[in-house]
Amino acid sequence: MNCYEHTLIAKQDLSDTQNKKLYEKYENIINKNSGKIIKTEEWGLRNLATKTKNNTKGIYYHIKFEGVGKTIEELERAENIDEGIIRFLTVKVKKHDLETNYFEKKDYYDKKEAPRTTDKQ
Amino acid sequence: MKRKKNLRHKKKPPATGGLSLFQKPGIKFVRSCPFSGKDAPTIDYKNIKLLKKYLSESGRILPSRITSVSQKKQRELSQAIKRARLLVLI
Repeated sequence: MNCYEHTLIAKQDLSDTQNKKLYEKYENIINKNSGKIIKTEEWGLRNLATKTKNNTKGIYYHIKFEGVGKTIEELERAENIDEGIIRFLTVKVKKHDLETNYFEKKDYYDKKEAPRTTDKQ
Repeated sequence: MKRKKNLRHKKKPPATGGLSLFQKPGIKFVRSCPFSGKDAPTIDYKNIKLLKKYLSESGRILPSRITSVSQKKQRELSQAIKRARLLVLI
């Protein structure tokens, strides 16, 4: 079994329920083809750096899983057909890094500074 | 009989923190690789903040002679940047 990281960018115009279905579809493909999901991350809606396939925004989804070559073959075959996906990327890693999440949304209220006190007399 | 010192082996230029007005003319400006050594950041295609430091304004990869990244790490870095480009993060 090898460790893989997979990221996919879905189109923006899908609703939340449609998105969940999309994720479940690909998670099922991994599970059926002798794969095992370890962690999933939702990076959410992000601005794309450049216009790709006439999209300016995309919904990012990140899966860390273990699998074999056939798992990826099936996964990417299904994604190539899917029109709701802008792009995807699979990367082989030696070890899963489960601690750092570079796209974690920080709580707005945690970072917010204390309200300024205006000293007007 | 004393052996003569080998003059060809000159002293290595000391690693100075920065350029100064009063430095000797022979001293080279040496900086160590930012990715090797203790608590160096790991190169990852997901860490956009780090990757953006090694890109020019127009999004091209900076040469290692400017950034002083070692040859091995520069290869890793360019791989990571290209992955991030494919995911339209940069």
